[in-house]
Amino acid sequence: MSDRNSARAPRLPKVLHRVAVVAAMVIAFFPVFWLLSTSFKPYEEWASSPPHWLPKKPTLQNYRIVFAPEAARRFAATQAGSLDYKVSGSAWAAFGTSAVVATAATLLSVVAGTLAAYSISRFRIGGDSFAFQFLSVRMFPPIAVVVPMVVLFSMLRLTDTHLGLILAYTAFTLPFSIWMIRSFIEEIPVDLEGVAQVHGMSQAEAFLKVTLPLIRGGVLATALFVFILNWSEFLFALTLTSGHVVTVTLQVANYVSASSGKLYGVQAAMGTISTIPVIVFGFLIQSHLVRGLTFGAVKE
Amino acid sequence: MERRDTVQLGTQCRRLLRIARLPFSIVLVLPAQLITLLVVVVPTIIVVWLSLTDWQPTDNIPWFKAEFSWFWNFYDLLSDERFVGAVLRTLFVVTLCVSTELVLAVALALLFLDEWPWRKVAVSVIILPMMVVPVDAANAFFMLFNDHGPINQLLSLVLDRPVEYAWLADPHWALLPIIFAEVWQWTPLMFLLVLTAFLNVPRNQWRAALGLGATPAQAFFRVVLPLSLPVMLVAVLIRAIETFKIFDVIYILTRGGPGATTESISMYMYNGAFVYFRMGYVAAAALLVLFVVVSVCLALFKPLQKHYE
Repeated sequence: MSDRNSARAPRLPKVLHRVAVVAAMVIAFFPVFWLLSTSFKPYEEWASSPPHWLPKKPTLQNYRIVFAPEAARRFAATQAGSLDYKVSGSAWAAFGTSAVVATAATLLSVVAGTLAAYSISRFRIGGDSFAFQFLSVRMFPPIAVVVPMVVLFSMLRLTDTHLGLILAYTAFTLPFSIWMIRSFIEEIPVDLEGVAQVHGMSQAEAFLKVTLPLIRGGVLATALFVFILNWSEFLFALTLTSGHVVTVTLQVANYVSASSGKLYGVQAAMGTISTIPVIVFGFLIQSHLVRGLTFGAVKE
Repeated sequence: MERRDTVQLGTQCRRLLRIARLPFSIVLVLPAQLITLLVVVVPTIIVVWLSLTDWQPTDNIPWFKAEFSWFWNFYDLLSDERFVGAVLRTLFVVTLCVSTELVLAVALALLFLDEWPWRKVAVSVIILPMMVVPVDAANAFFMLFNDHGPINQLLSLVLDRPVEYAWLADPHWALLPIIFAEVWQWTPLMFLLVLTAFLNVPRNQWRAALGLGATPAQAFFRVVLPLSLPVMLVAVLIRAIETFKIFDVIYILTRGGPGATTESISMYMYNGAFVYFRMGYVAAAALLVLFVVVSVCLALFKPLQKHYE
């Protein structure tokens, strides 16, 4: 890559270049640093004036409040006024819920997406508008669908259930699954399946035994990508549940106390932990991020 | 036992399919299509019905028994300053955010064309924001723009006088932290796309330009930039669509306040449906927005399709 691109663009002097890069890195990292730093601050330092960039008395109290209901109760009684127990009981439940919902929705979305992508790319089913129908789902503001969904879900008794969220997440990530996997399938020559069929395989077998193993990496990347979307989702979690099913994003948003406003430190601790899996997965599929976020249009 | 059940279920499914004589190609898309039908298409039909009523869940009657008010909702919406304000504000935020992101992304991408030590590390740090859970990013910005936060602290240093400005409580400036958060989180995506586009321009093209006597700047503006335009267009479109839906950041930072001064379309509809419980009215708003989105989609359909082919 180095030689290919050298001297392509107007170049800055070396020092200026380094300064610009470092500045960009600092700006990109600063809010994350603040989140991390706040998560280790004791109550007095959450909003101290002037703000402490690094905790003066670092503590694990916030993490204890997140994970141990006992610590949360003690904290609520002594410092935070009326901390809502229902949401701040323990983050384990939220992590469990998010893990179950995000994983199930990811599996559904990727399996249904792979099948549909295969049909779209090999049989050209429904012409091109068929694939675009799914893409348009992504263009709808989800809130426009949420209002009738709340109505529909309460009729089907899906409100505040894992299944309800799973269905919503699956439908809204299907466009990514279909378009991303389709772009991987189209990189595999059709002739390979043709050869397999000449050797006596059915089309389904040819797909399962020839094409699918070849795009395994792509499907896995798609799955991780969709998982990230599901894990970070907030709007559906907020509107389609009412206290029983609590995802990590809801848990973060709910650390608010009536008397002292937002519980910065606790939110930061919860935020730090809930972001870690996303960052890990994100870097794992870094080379596929571009393809995923552009629905397969741009490849690295 | 369970296993036999599954096997039986499998045979039954196959028999059903044989009876229905569905071709393999259709069977493959059925799961995706059914889920989309249930979660997107059926609600869209309900939204049409609701939009013609004045139904509120607090009325204690089921939605399908609500009295029709026909097109009054739409009439009211168009003269509803808060709705019109939210629409205009959303368009403003989209334009401002996406253009800022694009300019920053091009500038950043220019820094990364050459190979230099630690380049990979720098890219990883710079794309970190887009991986942060949006709700957490919003919380971080809430703390940064706090009246005792580091932004005010830096401003006091620069201005040499104490600044304890409550950004999020000011009707004129509350939108600024929201835009900062959005730009911070999504410039990396734009940067990755623009960088990919730049690096994909064949080397001999700009070589030829340089060989013909162009300065590096000319070669960049006349060769590399035009060739990267399609990808940049896709990037802008995708970001515009996503920013149009902006919700998480606003919900965490201001919930549309103070007053309604930071309400986006999504925030407006959320407040209408879940704070004021005016389901019928919000359904009408949703329908209007869907109508606009669908027309834009149809308008974009041809050019986009050409790019994906």
